[in-house]
Amino acid sequence: MPAEHDPDAALMLRVKQGDTHAFAELVDKYKQPVTNVAARMLRDPTEAEDLAQNVFIQVYKSAPRYEVASKFSTWLFTIVRNLCLNEIRRRSRHPADSMDTAHPEQEDQPLHQFEDKKTFSPPDSLLQGELEQKIEQVLAELPENQRTAIVLCRQNELSYEEIAEVLGCSLSATKSLIHRGRETLKQKLKPYLRTGAWSEPK
Amino acid sequence: MMNDPLFQQWRELSWRRKLTAAEDAEVRAWLAVHPEAQPDWEAETALNDALGRLPEVPVATNFTARVLQAVELDRAASARERKWLGWQPWKRWLPRMALAAIVLGAGLFSHHEVVANRRAKLVRSVEVVSKVSSLPSPAILEDFDAIQRLTPPPAADEQLLSLLQ
Repeated sequence: MPAEHDPDAALMLRVKQGDTHAFAELVDKYKQPVTNVAARMLRDPTEAEDLAQNVFIQVYKSAPRYEVASKFSTWLFTIVRNLCLNEIRRRSRHPADSMDTAHPEQEDQPLHQFEDKKTFSPPDSLLQGELEQKIEQVLAELPENQRTAIVLCRQNELSYEEIAEVLGCSLSATKSLIHRGRETLKQKLKPYLRTGAWSEPK
Repeated sequence: MMNDPLFQQWRELSWRRKLTAAEDAEVRAWLAVHPEAQPDWEAETALNDALGRLPEVPVATNFTARVLQAVELDRAASARERKWLGWQPWKRWLPRMALAAIVLGAGLFSHHEVVANRRAKLVRSVEVVSKVSSLPSPAILEDFDAIQRLTPPPAADEQLLSLLQ
């Protein structure tokens, strides 16, 4: 994509020339979405901010070699995903199994299913904070590739083609990942969805 | 029906963003003709709402400043490293030269040892030869008497002499 159609790529080209103001502009614009994606990929909001900082440091170090081969946001979220995967792999060297290990027979399901031992009272008694926690919990239980696909899908900056590029798979595979992840979410959140607990108050 | 391309298209659109009023109207019209798809569409929109309610993860107010500071520290460290390596090329070659000198020195030492060893062997062999008793001068061989004196004559055969008398 030509730089003139992507203002962020144009900013990045200025960073390449040593413009730190352009770099600060990019950081300000993307710090929130980058942190959101990192937090959901790592399932750790605390670590996510450190990783997000490392993402931008990596962006700055890569500036001399930067070429406008794709949209800036695609390139940026590819860095986010790679650093998150490195961190997940580093953690998986810990003796405990990685939470991202897929079930050998059902690749849609993680190896470890963490049973929700809470007994939820009828949805209309749930506070908004508890509901959000439930969504976060169920999202965190998805396999990494499905989770990442769904989280990136919520980022308005990326089209399906760009999400596929970040994930390193085809467009159809990307949509399949999103579909399967969403089916799992719908199944696990069924009690709340059925009663319409999330419909906008009238 | 759920696999209907049009329904799938709207579904995928809704995953990324809220449908416009026009798009929403089209979906409702389609659902009116395909009521069996209604529960699935409601589940999709409910999940979209739920995912949309996920809160933003808090980001420190000084996030950008910290990133800029980290970048500056990294840049200073890189500059120090470049300065140490120096603009004089030979400083970069110093470790290689040191290694080459060590290799050359080891080679020369080995050669010296080999030569010294050979010399020592030669000296030992000459020493063995020098221990042999010195031979008389050849000049004395010209004089028969002298030759006689070299090898004492055999002792007289007394028995034979007595028989001959």
